[in-house]
Amino acid sequence: MSIVALSTPAGRSAVAVVRMSGENSIEIAKKVFSPFPKSPNLLKVGNLDTGDFVERAMCVYFEAPKSFTGENMVEFHCHGGMAIVTSVIQVLLDNGARMAQNGEFSKRAFINGKMNLSETEGVIEMIDAETTAAVKAGENLLANNLGKKSVALQDKLLDLIAKTEVALDYPEEDLEEQTLLETQKETQEILDEIEKLLSTVKAGKIAKYGIDVAIAGETNVGKSSLLNALLGYDRAIVSSTAGTTRDTLDAHLTYKDTKFNFVDTAGIRQTDNEIERLGIDRAKKTMKEADLVLFVVNGKPLAQQEKTLYVLNKCDEIDYSNVNREDCVVTSAKDNKGIEELKEKIYKMFCADEIYSSGQMLTNARHVDCLNRAKEKLQIVVDNLFCTTVDCSALNIRDAWSALGEITGTTATEEIIDRIYSKFCLGK
Amino acid sequence: MKKEFDVIVVGAGHAGCEAALASARLGHNTIIFATNLDTVAFCACNPSIGGTAKGQIVREIDALGGEMAINADKSILQMRMLNRGKGPAVYSPRAQVDKFVYHSTMKATLETTPNLVLRQAEVVSLEKTETGFVVNTSVDVKYCAKAVVLACGVYLNSRTIVGKCIEESGPNGFKSAKKLTDSLVALGMEPLRFKTGTPARVLASSVDFSKMEKQDGESSTCHFSYMNKGIPAQKRSCYLTYTTLETKQIVLSNLDKAPMYSGEIVGVGPRYCPSLETKIERFSDKERHQLFLEPEGECTQEFYVQGASTSLPADIQEEMYKSIAGLENVQIMRDAYAIEYDCFDATSLKNTLESKKIDGLFLAGQINGTSGYEEAAAQGLVAGINAVKFIENKQPLILTRQDSYIGVLIDDITTKQSTEPYRMMTSRAEHRLVLRQDNADLRLTQIGRDIGLVSDERYNLYLEKVEQIEKAKQCLNEVLSPKTVAEMFTSVGETLPKSGISVKDCLKRTNVNVKVLQQHLGLFEGFSDDVLEQIEINAKYEGYIAKQQALILDAEKMENKKLPNDLDYETVSGLRLEARQKLNYFKPSSLGQAGRISGVSPADVQILMVWLAQHRNNG
Repeated sequence: MSIVALSTPAGRSAVAVVRMSGENSIEIAKKVFSPFPKSPNLLKVGNLDTGDFVERAMCVYFEAPKSFTGENMVEFHCHGGMAIVTSVIQVLLDNGARMAQNGEFSKRAFINGKMNLSETEGVIEMIDAETTAAVKAGENLLANNLGKKSVALQDKLLDLIAKTEVALDYPEEDLEEQTLLETQKETQEILDEIEKLLSTVKAGKIAKYGIDVAIAGETNVGKSSLLNALLGYDRAIVSSTAGTTRDTLDAHLTYKDTKFNFVDTAGIRQTDNEIERLGIDRAKKTMKEADLVLFVVNGKPLAQQEKTLYVLNKCDEIDYSNVNREDCVVTSAKDNKGIEELKEKIYKMFCADEIYSSGQMLTNARHVDCLNRAKEKLQIVVDNLFCTTVDCSALNIRDAWSALGEITGTTATEEIIDRIYSKFCLGK
Repeated sequence: MKKEFDVIVVGAGHAGCEAALASARLGHNTIIFATNLDTVAFCACNPSIGGTAKGQIVREIDALGGEMAINADKSILQMRMLNRGKGPAVYSPRAQVDKFVYHSTMKATLETTPNLVLRQAEVVSLEKTETGFVVNTSVDVKYCAKAVVLACGVYLNSRTIVGKCIEESGPNGFKSAKKLTDSLVALGMEPLRFKTGTPARVLASSVDFSKMEKQDGESSTCHFSYMNKGIPAQKRSCYLTYTTLETKQIVLSNLDKAPMYSGEIVGVGPRYCPSLETKIERFSDKERHQLFLEPEGECTQEFYVQGASTSLPADIQEEMYKSIAGLENVQIMRDAYAIEYDCFDATSLKNTLESKKIDGLFLAGQINGTSGYEEAAAQGLVAGINAVKFIENKQPLILTRQDSYIGVLIDDITTKQSTEPYRMMTSRAEHRLVLRQDNADLRLTQIGRDIGLVSDERYNLYLEKVEQIEKAKQCLNEVLSPKTVAEMFTSVGETLPKSGISVKDCLKRTNVNVKVLQQHLGLFEGFSDDVLEQIEINAKYEGYIAKQQALILDAEKMENKKLPNDLDYETVSGLRLEARQKLNYFKPSSLGQAGRISGVSPADVQILMVWLAQHRNNG
């Protein structure tokens, strides 16, 4: 049965695209649109008769299997008003289509072998992407780079499985028997590759969700002014009264291809005020969870600390010329001095390496989970833990193999597939 | 003149014997045909029973009440446990047997079993009638029965090939069955052509055994059958030798005369059991190939040259064998030959081994494209039991991948089209840590008892073992004080635990086994070795076994989702074209089986799952 859905966002827009997929979708389209395009992949202007009114629209169709879903598909590009779209969809339903369920177009593409699991996930990632870095990562998934890698790793594991198994099934052949040491060595090599992939998780998280930056420091050093300067507009209330910021305050900025998630926090000091004290607790928690802490000071920076950048603020009043440390940036939030330098410094700290710019990183929690499970099993083989007999190593290598297979869906259980498709929005 | 029986078994090889015995023992009038009574349970190839995965099958046949293990135990020349040190999942018992004793013992069993008629005759046709089947023999005597088990082995239209000399013959010069295939094709069955081969038999007194390595059995491996306690006596040795560079030269310079290469043989041979010429050609960088000389029997000089099957011309064979270390002056007694035969695609069978098209017709053994005595016997047993179930209109016996190697075997051959003779391997069994040779009785005796093939004696042995295991388990959770453990651990070289640990945790240590606990703590007194073996394996491999058992439960859920036999997969929307075709061809019995058909993807399975759910709601 053909399915139909609005593919562009609901609401007013210049153009809205209504998509239909299924064996009889072209027949249905021919009933309502004329003149119908003479050949596939050709966008043609014409009249779409909704029954109530005639919509001047464009139509293009794709023939199976050369379409996104691998089935016959039709797209109508019509005017983007809700009443128009509703009528268009209604007339298609009246002619035998049904409404698509969540993610059904992509599901059909997967079922028809047009995409593997990680590719379909790439589609979601690209659609959900808020920054170009995230788009790149999604694009990589769609290009099946991760899929290819995991297939290659699976292939290596399969070799290893074969080598172990042959010794078990043919104990009396004079095969050059794989020694436990060799198995461990080869397993270690695969393990290294998996760990290399897993090391991109942090970069992947940043591409997808951005860098979490906490702005912290004592009271009245200019934290909220710094936030406003970074954002380029007045987001936080600024006053000379110490302890103005009580609760944490979130604000986002897109710098180049990456999102910065700033959190302004309450100034840290000894206080009897119950509300302020709670604010300070929150500030401490935020600092702990952040990818980076901008610790604002007026005067001397403290000793170097992990994931901390000292912002030496109020340079219009204080002389910082003798400070020359990598983890310090001199600013004047009031005069907008050093602000661009600070953004660039943050960007470089997280986004400068090759992996990040190539987009080849793990952005999907399910993939990370698959790789981690494979890693765990292979680690058992390498450490030769629990059981020392070959039948058990073989078992662990097999488990690792099937965990990797889940990335592309070659061994995916129906639960995994279900979860993935439930994440899709209508009509993609 | 027509003779009436309940069950007709065609063929008295390893499959046929099990089928006929099962049917007769379950009280049904049974006749078993052999083209020649000297072929009954004949070991046409190697004189051994068991081996990796096959040894497990023999134990399973035994637990179900089959004959193979008991028969083999009476003919053992030596016995060993393969894969010791590689873990209990792959321990595999294997015996060299006296093939003449094996044959005569089985024949005597057939002769003395009530309800069973053993008859020499070639079956030439099979017809389906309203009430069952009629078979005709070459002397034009007809027999009819309600159910038929075809266990024709490699005898259908077989030809043996030695160089250019081709004979329309079965194995070992026994005559082939030339007419039955046509009759089966007329019933709508599709024949395949497979090939296998066997090496020469040589005279022991012409062999220089001093150039070979002697291989004896082990003095610690017990019999195949759970009914036979004790260790079989070693009667004969095997010998290990190698091909030489000369062998390689002889083979390579005569490859054009090998029928496999000259195009004389069209049948598909097994990859895992290549002829010597194939081995030498394919692995040309290997300087020598290993061969075993295995005794054919206690009262004969004949030895079987394992690993050197060939279909080269007889004179070149002789030259080749003489180039092998120790065989310089060998006297060949029987030539090696390749054999081609008709078999049938087992995907046309249900997982009961009954034909999907022809009710009451069962196929078992090499006719299903398998190889191996054990694989054949296992199928024969299941086919025999299910022929009876068919007649009695009762639920058939369906063994699964979760309960046995036999289940794996039958599921594999009925689900995946074979392109070569199918041999069982431990790596085919995904739950092999649970499907072990040591616990086949615990897995299957109850099933055999319910069927009616397990005697009181066997059943009581089983119940006793179960009870003893439960008793022995009781002390596993007992926590030992650090002081008690220290003395024992020090003596076996284990690192000392920080606090007291349980008996079970002690057993998990590499250097601690049941014997150590017996010696040091006086635990497990009065329990038999096979009971303690269960305790030890279950403790040592607890984590892995628990995991496999969880997987087994998952798999069973899929197996329990039954798909209707009459479902037209064309009507299930969303299935890919290939999946529809495959599913309509196979008509899988469950979602689990559907998922194992090649060409059916996980996504297709999911669609079927949704279909099932909707169907259930509608119904």
